[in-house]
Amino acid sequence: MALPVRTAAAVDEQQFNDLKALVTNLVLKVETQDQRIDQLEKTHAQDAQAHAQDQKLHEQDQQKIQALEQKLGETQQTVADVQQKTAVAVPVEPLSRMPLDEATVNHNFQILGDAEFQYAKMPGQHGTFLLADFAPIFLYRGGDNILFEAGFDFILQNNAPNSPGATTTINLSFAQLDYILNDYVTFAAGNLLLPLGTYSERSAGWLNKFPDNPLARSLVPGNGVGAQLLGAVPIGNAGKLFNYAVYGVNGPSSADGTGNAGALDLGGNVGLRTDNAVANLHGTPSGGARLGVFLPYKPHYDLELGISGQEGEWDNAGTHLWTAGVIDASLHLGACFEAKGEYIQSRYGSDDLGLIHTQGWWVQAGYKLSGLNLELPGINNLELVGRYDSLHDGLGTRTRRYSVGYVYYLTNTLLFEGDYEFQSSTDPSQKGDQFILQLSYGF
Amino acid sequence: MNKSKQFKVLFRTIFAAVITAVVIGGLASTLCSAEPKSDTPPPKTQPTPPGTNSVEPKANSPATRKAPVKIQLSGAELYSMHCNRCHPERYPTERTAAQWKTILLHMRVRANLPAEQARTILKYLQDNSGR
Repeated sequence: MALPVRTAAAVDEQQFNDLKALVTNLVLKVETQDQRIDQLEKTHAQDAQAHAQDQKLHEQDQQKIQALEQKLGETQQTVADVQQKTAVAVPVEPLSRMPLDEATVNHNFQILGDAEFQYAKMPGQHGTFLLADFAPIFLYRGGDNILFEAGFDFILQNNAPNSPGATTTINLSFAQLDYILNDYVTFAAGNLLLPLGTYSERSAGWLNKFPDNPLARSLVPGNGVGAQLLGAVPIGNAGKLFNYAVYGVNGPSSADGTGNAGALDLGGNVGLRTDNAVANLHGTPSGGARLGVFLPYKPHYDLELGISGQEGEWDNAGTHLWTAGVIDASLHLGACFEAKGEYIQSRYGSDDLGLIHTQGWWVQAGYKLSGLNLELPGINNLELVGRYDSLHDGLGTRTRRYSVGYVYYLTNTLLFEGDYEFQSSTDPSQKGDQFILQLSYGF
Repeated sequence: MNKSKQFKVLFRTIFAAVITAVVIGGLASTLCSAEPKSDTPPPKTQPTPPGTNSVEPKANSPATRKAPVKIQLSGAELYSMHCNRCHPERYPTERTAAQWKTILLHMRVRANLPAEQARTILKYLQDNSGR
């Protein structure tokens, strides 16, 4: 509002009141502005305070970031130092390539087997150390259903008298190809371990708790060249089973071609003669079979029974048959007690002595002293064994043998065995006691 | 009969007695530990409460007769049943999975085992095999 113009003349009341109102308004405005200025100053002060706090926090964050950067730098330096040291100590090698699932590897070669070292004292002989046997078994699996297996016997033997040194002989104990046709039939061919009883297949070498074979095993061949079908059928779900084996082999033969009793040769007809002729020594191969049943009550409690036999010609003329039968049995009563044995009978015709009957049997038992629960050192690794042998060779010689011994399990595959054998015979040359210590290793 | 023969006869008698004692002792100790014995009394049947219309089920009725349980032997059980019969126990960690596959083929032929049992044993060995 514009002030009225000042004149020399006096201001009237109306003008004074207008002026007073104007001043009052201006004072109010000024007061209002002052209040606003105060508020703004307060707000400014608060903002300044907040800014100061933000500034302080910012400074703290900056300090933290600096500290972390410093630590990161130190860590990186440490890593670099370690890498440098590692590179110096261990040269970097590429990781070996591992198959994802080794069980799917389709071909695999392994060597199993056993070796036996003995100290033996035979009747009428000096005691001696000897490498009794080194018997590697080669296994080659060519897929899921094909296995080739072969076993050898390395024998170290003195040369003949007046010939120095020793000779190493390698015998092929078996070599067969196994082909699984289906769940119930497996075909095997080659130089087979024969299922006459179970000794040849499951008790030879380090599996035998005695350092020598039962006498009666000399009545039947352990192996033969031919072909076999075998298989097993489960009975129920509790582990019982029935198994069978049917085979054909060249069979026994005559060492000199005659039919004389003394010429019987159980293992010499392998299909390749010394004159390189490929031929059986007689006209007809032999056939054989085994039927067995396994009856477990529960693990470590079981009974196995089997009956087996073989028949065929043996002399070159084919006029005489050789026949053998075996009954085998095995019993386990707990983890500590085992008993097994075989009864073997054979008969064969001959030119000079007519029909010859042979028979023999053996039974052995073992008891692991861990079953006694005695807290004595070493006792839990000891097994006491005993065996009885009887053999009648059909030619007038009867032999009986009692064997007592032990097996000390140094590990599950390293056995220290010892036995004392009391042998009596109608043949003076087979009479006498013998003592054998054996270290046997199965691998 | 001279002294040597007398000694042999005496030894044979003692030997036979010792073997018999070992066999009988082994049989006795293992048979005695074979059967698990229980001291718990047989459970008593609850009498039917009076005044109810419920009928006690007969002992041999379909409701109370239990269905026969099929025993399926595990790989570990089949392994202890078959793989300890001829040789001391071999530990699964001794071989790799591929090696066990080869060995089981060999053992299946050697011991003439059924295919299904051999496969179950193989799985157990491979699951617990060494590297």
